[in-house]
Formats: sequence, C-alpha cells, structure tokens
Amino acid sequence: MDFSLTTEQKFFREQVSRSLQRIVAPLADSIDKSDVFPRDMFNELGSLGYYGIRYPTEIGGMGADCIMFTILAEELARASIGFAAIVTMQCLMGTDFIYRFGTEAQKERLLIPAIKGGKIGTIAFTEPDCGSDLGGIRTRAVKNDTGYVLTGRKLWITDGDVADFVTVAATTDPGKRLGGIGFFLVEKGTPGFSVGQKIEKISARGAATMELIFDECQVSADSLMGEEGKGTKYLNDILSEIRIMIAGLGLGLAKSAFVSGLRYAREREAFGKPIGTFQLIEEKIAEMEVRIRAAEFLTYHAAWLKDQGSLTGKEAAVAKFYSTETACFVVDEVSRIHGAYGLAEEYPAQRYFRDGRFLLFGGGTSEILKTIIAKDTMKKCDFEIN
Amino acid sequence: MNILVLVKQVPDPEALVEIAASGRDLNIEPKFSINLFDEFALEEALRIKEKHGGKVKVISLGGPKTIEALRTAIAMGADEAVLIEDEAFAASDGYNTALVLSKALEKEVFDVILTGRQAIDADRGEVPQMIAQFLGLPHVGVVVKLDISDGKATAESSLEGAKEIIEVGLPAVFTAQKGLNEPRVPLITGVMKAMKVQIPKVSVEDLGLTRDMAVPESSKTRIVRYLPPKKRPAVQLIPGEPREAAAEAVRLLADVERVI
Amino acid sequence: MDFAFTEEQQFFKRIITDTVDRMVVPKAREIDEKDEFPWELWKDFTKLGYLGLRYPEEIGGMNADPVTAMIFYEQIARGSVGFAQSVIMNILMGTYFVYRFGSQAIKERCLYPAMRGEKVATMCFTEDQSGSDLSATRTTAVKDGNEWVINGTKMWITNGPVADFATVLATTDLSLGAKGLNFFLVEKGTPGFSPGQVLDKLGCRGTITGELVFDNVRIPEENLLGAELNKGIEYLGEILDEVRVMTGAMAMGIAQAAYDEGLEYARKRIAFGKPIGSYQLIRAKFADMATEMEASRLLIYSAAWKMKEKLPSRIEAAMAKMFATETCCKVVDEVTRIWGANAFANEYNPQRHFRDARFLLYGGGTHEILKDFMGRLLIGK
Repeated sequence: MDFSLTTEQKFFREQVSRSLQRIVAPLADSIDKSDVFPRDMFNELGSLGYYGIRYPTEIGGMGADCIMFTILAEELARASIGFAAIVTMQCLMGTDFIYRFGTEAQKERLLIPAIKGGKIGTIAFTEPDCGSDLGGIRTRAVKNDTGYVLTGRKLWITDGDVADFVTVAATTDPGKRLGGIGFFLVEKGTPGFSVGQKIEKISARGAATMELIFDECQVSADSLMGEEGKGTKYLNDILSEIRIMIAGLGLGLAKSAFVSGLRYAREREAFGKPIGTFQLIEEKIAEMEVRIRAAEFLTYHAAWLKDQGSLTGKEAAVAKFYSTETACFVVDEVSRIHGAYGLAEEYPAQRYFRDGRFLLFGGGTSEILKTIIAKDTMKKCDFEIN
Repeated sequence: MNILVLVKQVPDPEALVEIAASGRDLNIEPKFSINLFDEFALEEALRIKEKHGGKVKVISLGGPKTIEALRTAIAMGADEAVLIEDEAFAASDGYNTALVLSKALEKEVFDVILTGRQAIDADRGEVPQMIAQFLGLPHVGVVVKLDISDGKATAESSLEGAKEIIEVGLPAVFTAQKGLNEPRVPLITGVMKAMKVQIPKVSVEDLGLTRDMAVPESSKTRIVRYLPPKKRPAVQLIPGEPREAAAEAVRLLADVERVI
Repeated sequence: MDFAFTEEQQFFKRIITDTVDRMVVPKAREIDEKDEFPWELWKDFTKLGYLGLRYPEEIGGMNADPVTAMIFYEQIARGSVGFAQSVIMNILMGTYFVYRFGSQAIKERCLYPAMRGEKVATMCFTEDQSGSDLSATRTTAVKDGNEWVINGTKMWITNGPVADFATVLATTDLSLGAKGLNFFLVEKGTPGFSPGQVLDKLGCRGTITGELVFDNVRIPEENLLGAELNKGIEYLGEILDEVRVMTGAMAMGIAQAAYDEGLEYARKRIAFGKPIGSYQLIRAKFADMATEMEASRLLIYSAAWKMKEKLPSRIEAAMAKMFATETCCKVVDEVTRIWGANAFANEYNPQRHFRDARFLLYGGGTHEILKDFMGRLLIGK
C-alpha cells in the first residue's frame, strides 16, 4: 500500500497550487463580494490549459487521471469556492457530453475553444420543482422534422449568464421518468433559449446560478447527445467522477478554513496566552485535523480506484458525503475559534462558513447519499466474512 | 359617547379543521383569536372615543377561553369588558346568539353598537341584523367609513361594484368591513392593564334565559351535516392565443375566483 | 412542579407574538438587506413602550419578571435579529448601569429617553485585544480633579456609531487587571468621543457595529456608574445571568423562525412523488430539532424562574445559554439542508437565520469559556 503521490502528481500539485494562490486566492474576497464572473482570471487559467485536464492531449487537453483532477479541484477550492465551481463545471459536466457525443463540427466550434477557456460550457438539469428527483424533470423535447423542440425552465444553472453552450436535460417521454431523459446541446443565441433571473445567494458567489428558459426552442437533430432515453445512463457514467470532484472541493475548503483557524489560534491571545494552547481549542484543532485527514484518504482512495478501473458508486458517494460534511464541520469550528471575528466580513472565516453550504447538495444531498450507501451495503458488504 | 363592541372569539385562521366521523361536528385545533372583522369594529370604536370622548365597552358570548379575546380588547384600549359565559349558547345558532346579546344590550346605555360584518368561522353574517331587529334599532352593514356627529352618523357601505352612503340617527348598529381601518397594535401599558384586569362574567340565567333554549332541538336552525369543500384541481391551463388567453385569465380571476 | 406559564404570561406571549408578526416580521428581510439602523420601525415599535420592560412602573416601565422578559426576548429575536439586538440593548445592557447607579440628572438625560426610544443606548466592553479576557482591557480612566479622563478604543460595539450614550468599561489601574474595572457614562457630543470604523457583518445586519474612540474624553465625577470604585466586574455579575439566559431566549426565537420555515418546506416540497417530509431522514431531523428546542426552552425558563425567585442561577444560566445556542445552530443548519439549494438563495429566509445564529456563539460568553467556568464550579476548583 503506497499512499504517496507519484512524483508527477506531486509536481502537478505544486504547480497548480502556486498558480492558483498567485492568480486566484488574492481575489477570492472580491469575487465573493461582487458575485461577478471573473472573466480575466478565467481566461488566464484557460490559457494555461487547465480546462482540458480530463481530455486527451490530441485535442489540447492534459490527458490527466482522476487523482490529478481531484488535486486540481482541491487546489481550486483552497483558493476560491466560487471560482472552483466555475472551473470544475468547465472541466467536467459542462463539456463532457459534447466530448463524448458531439459531432466533429460541434467539437471544433465549442469543445476545442472551451478547453482553452474561449467558450464557456455548463450543464442544466435542475428545475424549480426538481432537484434530487431527476426522473421528475418536466423540460420536454419533442421530435420534429428539423430536430427537437425544447420547452421548459431550468434553475440553479451555474454560469447560465455567461455560458456559450449548455447541455440540457430534457425528457422525450415523461411517463418513462428516468428512462425518458436525453441531453441536448443548446448554444447561446438559439431562438427560444433565453437566460432568466439570477439567483442571489450567500454561497459560491462568483459562479452565478441562473434561470434558463426554453420557449419552443428549436434545435437540430445532432443536438441530441447520444441517444434518446439514455441520458440517465450517460449521467451515471460521470456521476462518480462528479462526486469525487466535489469531495476534492470539500477538502480544499476544509484545508483553507482550517489553516486560517490554526493561524488565528496561534496569534490571538487571551488570558496571557495564545488561545490555541487552551484545551478546548486544542480539541477543536484535533477534531478538525483528524476528519480532514480521513476525508483526504477517502477522497483520493476513490480517485485511485477510478484510475484503476474498479470504482463503484458507493466509494464515490462515501467520499463526497464525508468530505463535504467535514468541510461544514471545519468551517463551523473555525468560525467559533474566530469569536466575533467569525462574523466580520473582512476576515475569510465567514466566507468559508457560507461556502460550505454549496457543497451539501451538488452531486447529491447527504441524505440521498446516505440512502445510496446503505442500499448498496444492504446488498453486499465487504466487511462480511462469508 | 357610549360605544358597545360585540366581539367573537373564533378559531385561528391557521388552525387545522377536520370533519368528525359523525359528520355533524368539527374537530378544530384549539388555537383562537379575536374575529378579524370584530377587530375593525373595535378599532373604529376606539377612534370614535378618541375623537368624541366617552367609553368603549366590549361584550362577548363564549366559553371560558373567550376571556382572552376580551383581554386583547382591553389591551387595545377598551375601557370595560364582560363575558357572557355559556358554551351551549355559544355553540348554538345565530338566532340564539343574537337573543343572548340583545338581552345583555338591553341593560346597557349606548349610542353606537359596532361589530364585525361576519365571524370568520360561521361566515353567516346574520347576528348583527337580528340584534338590531330585537332592539328595534337601525342597522348599517359592511361599513368602510363611519362619521359621527350630533347624534347621527354617516356611513359608507361597500356593495359589490357600488357604494351606498347612509345617514342614520343614533343609537344604531354598524357592522365593520375590511378597509374600515387598520387595527392598532397594543401599547405595553394596555398589555399590562389587560394582564391584570378582572373581567366580570355573566350567565344566561342572569339575562333571563334558560339553558334549554340553546339545545339543538329547540333551536331555529340545526346543523345537519358538514361536507368537505370540493378539491380543486392543481392547475388549470388556459388555452388559446396570448391575447384571448389573457382576457380569459382576467375573466376567471375576477368572476370565478373573485380575487381581483 | 407547574411547568405552565401563568395566565398573565400566556396572554403577554400572545400579544407580543402578534405584535412582532405584524410589525417586525414583514420588515426583517429589508433590515438584513439594507444593513442600516431601521429608524422607522424603531420609532413605531418603541412607541408601544416595550423598552421599559424591566424597569419599575414608577418610572414608566413594565416591571416584568425574568420569565416574562424571556418571552419578550424570544419573540423579538424571532422577528428580526438585527432589530432585536438594538431593542434589547436599550432594554437591558445599555441602560442597566445608568438605572442602577446614575444620578437623577443622568437618569432624566439618558435613562428615561432611552426607555421611550428617544435615545439609543449601548454598552462598551470589547476591545481589539480583549473579548473573553476582560482583564486585558486597555481603555483607561484617570481621575483629574473632579473629572475622569477616558482614553482608549472599543471594538464590536452594537450601535456604537449611532448611540446617544454609552456605558464604557475602563480600568483605573492597568496593573490590577479585572479588579481595576469600572463603568463610566459617556454621552454623544462629549469632546474626544467619536465613532470609528463600522464593521460589515455576516449576520445581525441592521445593527451598526463598530469602533468607538475615546481620546482624552473628560466626564464629570458623577459619570462613574458605581457605588464604589473598581467594583465593575462585581456589578456586571448582577446582570450576567440575565444576559446569558436572554441570549438563550434569542436563540430560541431564531430557531423557531427557522424551524417554521423548515416545516413549511418539508410539507410542500415534492421529490420522487411525495412531500419530502414523508422520508425518514427528514422526519428524524424534525424530531431532533423539536426535542432539543423543547429541552432548551425548559432550561431557559427554569433558569429565568430561579432568577425570579432570587435563587442561585449562575450555572443554570450558563447551561441555558450554551444548550439553547448549540440547539439553534443545529436547527438553522438542518433547516438549510431541508431546503436544499433554496436555502442559500437570498430571497428566502433560511440563509438569514443561518447567518444570524452565529453571534449567539460568543454573545454572553463563548462556549469554551463557559464550559471551563462551569466545569470549574462543578468540580470545585
């Protein structure tokens, strides 16, 4: 059991960390305050080639494995959750469908530029009445001679305001629920597709979450990504990867918050000593550190399993659940360590505290994940000695 | 000026209501408040007192819990309150309610009687008119504006799609409609007074009535059965071109749903 | 053991609940969004007379007992935390020492107007380097003839920048630590006394929290709020229990507001064909929240009752504050989870309760401090 990163992975982490701490971290507060898409930063990172991390080098990507992608997610989250949300969308959900199912022309026009940050991609499945229950989506895709007509509303769509292309989940057969879902590529400017309201929020600011409106939006036949009714399967193909990625985000948030709490505990004095020398603060530090280390192992173990080709849904669910709950535990304790300064906008503790919320449902709420884990274990558990 | 306000304690609008197994009774969550329309009446009474001087007295028919509604009235600024305590009569029909209240009112000196246009539980809106009849007084209903001067009143009644302006001599009965005023929030001095006040209770016998007049068999009306309201479909799609659909939507909202 | 409120207390609760629903709840979101002192609501609400809650009837107060006071604190916090803090500051911490030790002239100038809402009061303890550790206070008070000269900077002062008068904790002798602390009255307009930086905060928006600067501020002798010199910490002890239980009561107000939001959502939100309230994990959340809130309230009202009966309540007050606050933090967390993504949208309330709850963790004492203190008392040094 070699638990260490390879030399290549270590080098990658160092590079990524250095770049992000230089380019992104100093602007994290202003991204959070303004809640405006950080275009310059996005372009700069794009030109460094990060967005193609998962795609083959032949098309300008990095051909990296899951462990490296998770490292990227973690380091992004350490710098800024809002920015991390934008970039991970670009690297994975926002572009993967066009990568797997797009025509050459679509790839030329959208994917290749997206890899360099020239075009922004996002995915749209959540609807106002439909979050966890993907089978209940109501956006309809009706086949016609030219292709498909899309009608419906999406909500909570990351980067909906700036996206050049959207992969939209729609149903061709509502009766079939999960079995009727397909994904459709819709480009900005398509008649019938408009961007609606922005949801003002307290968490992951900088990554705008928008309403998207499809009003009899005509798309061509080759907008269908893959086959009708296979959407759920296509999503499931990347779902574990999404969950591991979010586990990486949780790790990054937990670590950055932890370090800020640690520094405060070292510097802040009361009763003549640094508060970190009092037992109750020591306890917090220990509890946080242990959980972060556990989350780290669970997350990278899942990533490693993926790279070995032996990942099951359960390990990904475990990683996501544990890492994000750890992040929320840490940001709570860190805000307590900061005392009243946990409330002050000029300290990052309150931003970490707010950002934790966002991790609790992207990729599945903790409640849903627990039931997934339990259902799987009820069928088979490797703790059992035959 | 002596102003008398009749209030009813009703179930809270948020209280859960279920039809009992027998079909002839309701199971209502025990959360109560002062009838909304009676609040407008009380507020108006307080304003009249502030303008013309005098006293506001509040009377209610109910069970022991009704004391709370009367305390609220005192907190808002009423000078006196009295509870006619009788659960049987309180649960009986509008005629019996009007009878009891009229008997109580006969003993009072008043220039104005104010009450809400209807109680939000029974929604019958019949008691004030019957009281006026029993006492031989004029009655003006659904009042949205009330001016008092020199022993007479000018009241504006809101009808559907029209207004009626009525001049009437006092004493008279007025029922308050929404829009008459905005009920005040009690001052802490009112709250303190209300917390400590002893509210006198009166029995129906004190008013010369007997219990058996309230039993269902000798009441003028009787509840036969309760039925649940029809469940409305969740969504009604309005077909047609935008122009026609919009016109139809307005028609539905105004004439069918009556929300505009 | 009679666990019920008296009929009077029940009536008071209904009235204040209704008053808060009508006047405060509709303004809560705006107060949070604007983050400005809500002068209009302040004027309307203070007219009702509640700022005199704890002071005797003879001076226009309500003479409410601690239990009744807790009912008030809970409801006002349920309405709007930002507004509640300002109200409660005038009711208690900002005026108590003036009431207790101020001369008649001082009372006429400060206390009575504060009770009417005509003046805003505040209390200044915290400094940049001293929060939990009051002995590290560096604001000094030096006697010069028949005046005191105050020098220092206070931080995190609720409504400091808009206050008309402040009760300031200062030391007459830095070497004495906590034993040199006293309360002084400083009024707006006194030369050398000025507001400093205002802080932007995560929660409790609507109060103006900031720095207060004392630069050779000269105040008359009678502005020492105390019968004897250097007894500040002892005097603080007179209201410490109430401040702690009050914090617990506020925690319940916030928790109730959040809980009610969670309930509505669990009933209405459909997933997989059913309201999410039909699922075990969601049901369990409500069971846990309701149980802990009930336990919190019992601790709060029992501590308040002990205070009312003048029984020892130091440990009970600390317990009530801690337990209720931890409960509130759990409740506002669970409610955001129940609400899913909608929880962090600004247009809904759960995110505001989530942010507002944080101040409870240190107001009235951080839990780390309280646990150490309680443990010490329980174990006996």
